[in-house]
Amino acid sequence: MKRINRSWLRYGLICSLAFSSTGFARSYDDIIDSKEITVAIYRDFAPFSYQIDGLPQGIDVDVAQHIAQQLNVELKLRWMTADENVEDDLRNNLWKGHFLKRSVADLMLRVPYDKAYSQMRDDIGELVHEQVHMFAPYHTESWQIIYNAKQIETVSTIAVFQYHNIGVEVDSIPQFYLTSAFGGRMRESAKHFSSIPLALDAMSNGEVDAAMGLRSQISHFQHSLDSKQYPLAENAFPMMGRQQWDIGMAVKTQHRQLGYAVGDIVEAMIKQGHMEKIFAHYHTLYQVPDLYLPEKSHP
Amino acid sequence: MIKTCKNNKLSLSLCITLALCGAASANVTDKDIANDQVTTHDVVSYGMGLKGQRYSPLSMINTSTVKEMRPVWAFSLGGEKQRGQESQPMIKDGVMYITGSYSRVYAIDARTGDELWQYDARLPDGIMPCCDVINRGVALYGDLVIFGTLDAKLVALNKDTGKVVWKKKVEDYKAGYSITAAPIVVKGNIITGVSGGEFGIVGKVRAYNALNGQLVWERPTVEGHMGYIWKDGKKIENGISGGKPGQTWPGDLWKSGGAAPWLGGTYDADVDLLFFGTGNPAPWNSHLRPGDNYFSASRLAIDPDTGKIVWHFQTTPHDGWDYDGVNELIPFDYTDKGKTIKAAATADRNGFFYVLNRENGDFIRGFPFSDKITWASGLDSNGRPIFVEAGRPGNPMDSKDGKEGKTVVAAPSFLGGKNWMPMAYSQDTELFYVPSNEWEMDIWNEPTAYKKGAAYLGAGFTIKAINEEYIGVLKAIDPKTGKEVWRYKNYSPLWGGILTTGGNLVFMGNPEGYLLAMNAQTGEIKYKFNTGSGIVGSPVTWDMDGEQYVSVLSGWGGAVPLWGGDVAKRIKHLNQGGTVWTFKLPKNYN
Repeated sequence: MKRINRSWLRYGLICSLAFSSTGFARSYDDIIDSKEITVAIYRDFAPFSYQIDGLPQGIDVDVAQHIAQQLNVELKLRWMTADENVEDDLRNNLWKGHFLKRSVADLMLRVPYDKAYSQMRDDIGELVHEQVHMFAPYHTESWQIIYNAKQIETVSTIAVFQYHNIGVEVDSIPQFYLTSAFGGRMRESAKHFSSIPLALDAMSNGEVDAAMGLRSQISHFQHSLDSKQYPLAENAFPMMGRQQWDIGMAVKTQHRQLGYAVGDIVEAMIKQGHMEKIFAHYHTLYQVPDLYLPEKSHP
Repeated sequence: MIKTCKNNKLSLSLCITLALCGAASANVTDKDIANDQVTTHDVVSYGMGLKGQRYSPLSMINTSTVKEMRPVWAFSLGGEKQRGQESQPMIKDGVMYITGSYSRVYAIDARTGDELWQYDARLPDGIMPCCDVINRGVALYGDLVIFGTLDAKLVALNKDTGKVVWKKKVEDYKAGYSITAAPIVVKGNIITGVSGGEFGIVGKVRAYNALNGQLVWERPTVEGHMGYIWKDGKKIENGISGGKPGQTWPGDLWKSGGAAPWLGGTYDADVDLLFFGTGNPAPWNSHLRPGDNYFSASRLAIDPDTGKIVWHFQTTPHDGWDYDGVNELIPFDYTDKGKTIKAAATADRNGFFYVLNRENGDFIRGFPFSDKITWASGLDSNGRPIFVEAGRPGNPMDSKDGKEGKTVVAAPSFLGGKNWMPMAYSQDTELFYVPSNEWEMDIWNEPTAYKKGAAYLGAGFTIKAINEEYIGVLKAIDPKTGKEVWRYKNYSPLWGGILTTGGNLVFMGNPEGYLLAMNAQTGEIKYKFNTGSGIVGSPVTWDMDGEQYVSVLSGWGGAVPLWGGDVAKRIKHLNQGGTVWTFKLPKNYN
């Protein structure tokens, strides 16, 4: 079966011409004229985007709502089923559409803001992401361990997981890390779950002593646990390549005017503290991306 | 009776048709299915017989007459939905049953090409099938037409009306499962696997009562999982696959071990065993799961009554190249020193051809059928590959500096020396006709990757042709010696099934759109017809009213167009389609 393949974007480009023109990503003017914007968010992905009794909830939903409000248009949500990687999600939801659902959104959230990624070239030297413009980092994401203080005194280093088991999500960096770093010494301790909420359930049931996942997710779910018994660890992750990364948004490359408008809205949200409030509302740790830090100057 | 039916127009109501055809439109019985390989007037099982040999003794169309073969009708699947048509037609009493892309089923008058009914499954929003929206065909049993859907359901339709008789959720599509293979019916049970290997699923083979859809047994294909059997409506534990967990997997990785039996299976009545192949293990990075990872990339012999695993044979232990072991295992007999050997053969994704003893799974012999194999230097006396460790893709966790790791060239590519497309075995020539592809891949670690907004370590792949002139090669292989008797080279990759007949012919479609017929002994092309879109389906043949017919679906798609590089250059001009083509000799031809 397939996994990551960068070169099929090229082939997809040829196919995209054949698709119907309805539901195409639109220009800023078209969005303002039609008084609505379609924003793509992931389904079943608390605390970012999920539904409770059919009502959309979450950080990304609130951010999208605020953007629509500022543009003075109505918000339409497009719930994305995650494919195997973000390239697939961008293709399926923003610039080409999935072959089962030939429509796309105007704006997609939770897209990495990473120069190496946006400028990545494929095996024959072409830009992988030439179809999309990535912009507006709105938070910095990282990895986080939560543990049961009744089982583990403290997680000063990752080495304790040679002796204590720890829940991770299948096919994630925490899984790769715990099953292969340090010659696989923590491999037997890694217990696999299909999602972080299930790993945390297992921690509260005593099946595992700790869990590792996205800091946003772990801190959000910690709120519903007894935070004394289940503290957040402060360990480092030696031997791990990428320790933190920025999350932003994307539009189709020809709709940069929309990107600039949304970028201004997001920057104001961050500078006025609105973004942090949204995160706080969902009990999620917030970190401002470097781009907005005053001591750094950016071109 | 058959004559009466022949002149029916669609304008006649269906019940009149039924009244006229009474005896001719009998239900499909276990006996019909068991004898499918020798009865030439129908095709009531996937593989044209449960052994899957795809051999018909029919010889009216043969090496001398085939040049006169011409289309008698073509049927468009219609709609905007095209993409890959990988279906094998079924024929019963002058009616053809096919599936189309996007989980559609059609009943067609096999004499005229008139549509009798069409069923469109309502697919839920948000399904994410891995490799195109294909389906490989229906099963027939009683008055039912049964097929699997992209959202992992089994649906049984009335053969005369196309109305749903029963529907069963096999697995939850939200967890990544789907069904694309044709199910088979053995002793009244409909047997199916599932697709979805990359999402941390656990593969299972299941048997349902074909008449009502009640679950009979289920057998996990990953070591450590409990199997179940249902007796009087009660679910009873029926033994853990492999005895106990953790023998060939580290930690708890067996819980999400993959090994999806996504291509369905074959059955042999002689030894009363089902044969199912299993997909690659999860997670994809082999460095996370040292061990053989049972029963991934294996062939499993399963008791059709209880679902117990009787024997297993693993083609790629500790797979690190995505070499699914799903390929069909085809039972066949041969004589060795006056003794009949009950054998079975399979051509694996990994580039090796295996001949096994089908009674016990013992390795008889194996040999490369792919021209280039980099990951193993050969097979040992038990059929286990002798690994070339430098040929294993690196561990992405080793790339601490955030740079791409070294590129490993692996042949065959992950699409395999042979992919899903079924081979055929001729009882006349005693050769296997193996649709294969000569391609390799570059694999490198991709540290700059993201998944659902989370940093991720991926692997980059590019598939490349090994030869400029061709990727696809149809190979005629002698299973007794490993000798290649002839080959036919095709510019683009082959992706459709093979049919061989008593007329000394081999039929095959190619992505360029041609239905080809070749001399089964020499490979000489005897017939060529352009169907207007690429062929990725499996041809069938039957006789009706004293004439021999051949049918094949045309409609380019499947997994190949989803990959780029060298391969995309060869296929990007191929147009989609969706047509059944049916051929015969002219009536007055002598």
